[in-house]
Amino acid sequence: MQTLDEGLVAAPVKCSALRLLLLPLVILAGMGLSVEAGLLGPLGEQVGHLWATLSIFGVGSAILFLLLLFAGPRKGPALTELPRWQLIGGFLGPIYVVVLTLATPHIGIAMTMIAILSGQVGKSVLIDHFGWFGATRKKVNGERWLALGLIVVALVLIARG
Amino acid sequence: MGLVILLAVVVLAGAVLSVQAAINGRLGETVGVLRSSLLTFAVGAVVTGLLILFFEPAQAVSLLEVPKWQLTGALFGVVYMMVMVGAVPVVGTAVATVAVIVGQLGMGMLIDNFGWLGNPAIGLSSSRMLAMVCLAVALVFMYRSSQRTG
Repeated sequence: MQTLDEGLVAAPVKCSALRLLLLPLVILAGMGLSVEAGLLGPLGEQVGHLWATLSIFGVGSAILFLLLLFAGPRKGPALTELPRWQLIGGFLGPIYVVVLTLATPHIGIAMTMIAILSGQVGKSVLIDHFGWFGATRKKVNGERWLALGLIVVALVLIARG
Repeated sequence: MGLVILLAVVVLAGAVLSVQAAINGRLGETVGVLRSSLLTFAVGAVVTGLLILFFEPAQAVSLLEVPKWQLTGALFGVVYMMVMVGAVPVVGTAVATVAVIVGQLGMGMLIDNFGWLGNPAIGLSSSRMLAMVCLAVALVFMYRSSQRTG
């Protein structure tokens, strides 16, 4: 799954050689996301969309469990000590994966990715502008509105085929 | 008309994903990326399992019968996560985001155009090309606005 905006905020370190080395790796990781979506569509058509989704979450859980057990940090707060709302992310993930398996056979992978992206951008622009979900209300500058407008134009172009 | 509804659903899924990223970001800060991801995937698997038990119609083919390479999708997601955890502190969020999108769309267009991995081949039409250009310009604007606000 992809997470583009929030949660990845960190100050860039100044180290140009490492940056140049890592950039192709990040692009490759992005390509992997499309491969994942490309695998999901045909799989969903064969075994059903929910089964295809289960394969993603089942295999993902298994790998992450092993990684955490053998290579993860031993210490850290228990999940049971955290506020419950922080634990609901898992309910939202399947919505995204099911929609991926439904959409890619009909509109293609590149276009599905553009539509997903426009949802992400639109959501963050609207949340900032109106201060939804307890976010501090801040003025969204013209450039971000323009970006959102261009993404909508891209969607219209796709819908026309 | 069906296509428009489908597009709207996908856009909404993007918004949902973004909310999930916000929630998981907060969780990851306190318990670490591995734990927050495992929780997301495990809860996702349980929810999907429940939905299958009660709502999924019987299918002619099961997951065990399809070629094994079709089941490798999750690996790409996990690798993506690890790469981002390592790379984002070095290259910065904005650059990493643009690099991911470039990779996603480039690979997406390749798979679409050639019909790789058993997908229907969708040729690169002029309106699809134009949509890509719009998106590229949109990314430039987003990048510039994020530079300005810090």
